[in-house]
Amino acid sequence: MGRSLPVFKPLTPADVRRIDQTSRQILERIGIRIKDDAILDKLKKAGAQVNHHNQRLRFKEEWLDKLLSRAPSQFTLYSRDEKNDLSLGEGEVHFANGGRVFRILDIANGGYRLTMLRDIARTAMLVNHLEHIRFYVIACQAHDVEPQHYHLNDFCNAFNNTTKHVMGGCDNLEGVRQVWKLASLIAGGEERLREKPFFSVITNPVSPLTIGPNAANILSFCATHGIPVTCASAPIAGATSPATLAGTLAQMHAEALAGVAITQVFSPGAKVLYGAVPATMDLRNIEFAMGSTEMGMMGASAVQLAKLYNLPIRASAGVTEAKRPDIQSGVEKSFSNLMVAMAGADCILLAAGMLDSGNSISYEQYTIDNEIIGMVYRVLSGIRVNKDTLSLDVIEQAGPGGNYVMEEHTVEHMMEEFFYPALSVRCNFDIWEERGRPTMLSRANDLVHNILTEREEVEEGLLDPDLLLEVRKAFPEIRNI
Amino acid sequence: MSDFKALSEAVNKGDTKTALVEAQKALDAGSSAEEILNKGLITAMNEVGDKFSKGLLFVPQMLRSAKTMQECTKLLQPFFQEGDVLSKGKVLIGTVKGDLHDIGKNLVSMMLEGAGFTITDMGVDVSPEKFVEKTREVKPDIIALSALLSTTMPAMAQTIEALQKAGLRDKAKVMIGGAPVTEKYAQQINADSYASDAGSAVNKAKALLGIS
Repeated sequence: MGRSLPVFKPLTPADVRRIDQTSRQILERIGIRIKDDAILDKLKKAGAQVNHHNQRLRFKEEWLDKLLSRAPSQFTLYSRDEKNDLSLGEGEVHFANGGRVFRILDIANGGYRLTMLRDIARTAMLVNHLEHIRFYVIACQAHDVEPQHYHLNDFCNAFNNTTKHVMGGCDNLEGVRQVWKLASLIAGGEERLREKPFFSVITNPVSPLTIGPNAANILSFCATHGIPVTCASAPIAGATSPATLAGTLAQMHAEALAGVAITQVFSPGAKVLYGAVPATMDLRNIEFAMGSTEMGMMGASAVQLAKLYNLPIRASAGVTEAKRPDIQSGVEKSFSNLMVAMAGADCILLAAGMLDSGNSISYEQYTIDNEIIGMVYRVLSGIRVNKDTLSLDVIEQAGPGGNYVMEEHTVEHMMEEFFYPALSVRCNFDIWEERGRPTMLSRANDLVHNILTEREEVEEGLLDPDLLLEVRKAFPEIRNI
Repeated sequence: MSDFKALSEAVNKGDTKTALVEAQKALDAGSSAEEILNKGLITAMNEVGDKFSKGLLFVPQMLRSAKTMQECTKLLQPFFQEGDVLSKGKVLIGTVKGDLHDIGKNLVSMMLEGAGFTITDMGVDVSPEKFVEKTREVKPDIIALSALLSTTMPAMAQTIEALQKAGLRDKAKVMIGGAPVTEKYAQQINADSYASDAGSAVNKAKALLGIS
């Protein structure tokens, strides 16, 4: 990394403090509604101000600070291959795809269809192959699986097709429990999983200021079982939060801090990510707008707010309203990915594969986003300035009118100095015509085809066959994979 | 008889120093200069070309290999015997009048040289008269003209006309190249061939002379 992050701070230090003060007032005066009495009891015993009548949990400043100070400022999201372990809180930015969409664009016929279990397997294969997408998020709804077995089937397919860390949005406690059992079996025991948890869970509050029973119970389960978790606040400015960006940030920050604080009640030191998905509404027609410039700005601001408490953050970027990989998707994705990465977010979700306001995916978009993210990483790595890179001797040797193409210095530096895109078209006009006028999208389509055929021809998942037999025996609900 | 493995490796890496040592060793061990050239250097350059077309090497690496080969060929020069096949053909190359850009032309020169052609490089801003004069002197198989600017492209046509007037047009093939140059323009000004980049220049040159 060339320069230490952040290199982009949309908020001044004074603005950060004012937003934080407002959030603390929200938590103390208004509080969070938790729609689960058993959880409220637990919180009350731990020193919370609870009003059972209106299910309201309030955070006194001291209590809030005590809880927040317990949350770890650094931890690791483990992979199963040890090569893709992701350290959080150490100034690294890790991009991932986005999850739980229900539609997929089929480039071959130009149409959309519902997503199936095989789409989870294939998107996991893609992410396993694409170097800049550093972990996998359960990408879509498996419409061919019974809802009560979603999570088990989803995660099993993910584990079988990528060894990178797997994160997934979960609906209910039972689903998380099933996945935890499955992962324990794969890890070779609960303790080994606890030591190096290779999956993590996303749940969400409901803006404004509400945490449902499922989310609360998932937070409790994850905290006590050592599973990294995030309770990602996802307000929509103008709809479920104020129309002002500052107001939305204040509410989002309150919700995100509440999520972090609650996990620390259940288990001090529990691995938790500050979660932020601040979106907007196009008020002309009340249309959801995740590709808005403001979403990127707020995503970057959320990093500043999380870092005020030294909390690792699961931020969001790279979303678009575009329905196909096109100019709009390229512009919107690049804009927010760059902003949020330059702000120094530990994890950036939604950044690959998504289209259509996070409702659709496309295989091609995964490869295109991998390239956009590669460009972002190139920006983050900065410009190396030292005696060798300044090249005075080489400039002298080439002299006026010389060239540098053949210099040893060129060969020495050419790999690390430049980002080499796999999909952008850089050939000259004649060669471009000879090759049948390729575009980024046509090349993305070729790459997807290569990756998937290569993997599917092998017809073997990444889980050991013996282990897979054990898994099938223990979980008859898992479909043949 | 040697398989020239170390020499081939040095050419592949573009390591001139080692390559020269290895070529000298091969001479000392009794290999003929022609054998070293054909079985060592040119074979190695073919490997380099293959790797490049598969995307395993970048242009600077290929050019360094070509340069290594040139240096080795110089070392072998005094040891060639009459009748040895040394060159794929002679190429006279230059950037046309009014144009001072030479990086593209230099790349083409180096690639052609690496492929076994003998190059006479006239540099930049070369007038039609100078091309004519040098053609008489060198008797090239191919005359290669380069231009980067659309404003200097007409000098390509003027050079071809000058060759025509001097009665030299049918003594050599003319190929042209450069960013604004097209296949169509080549046909328009009666050039024999056009190459869109340094890599294809080698293939086009070989095609012009009917060699592989």
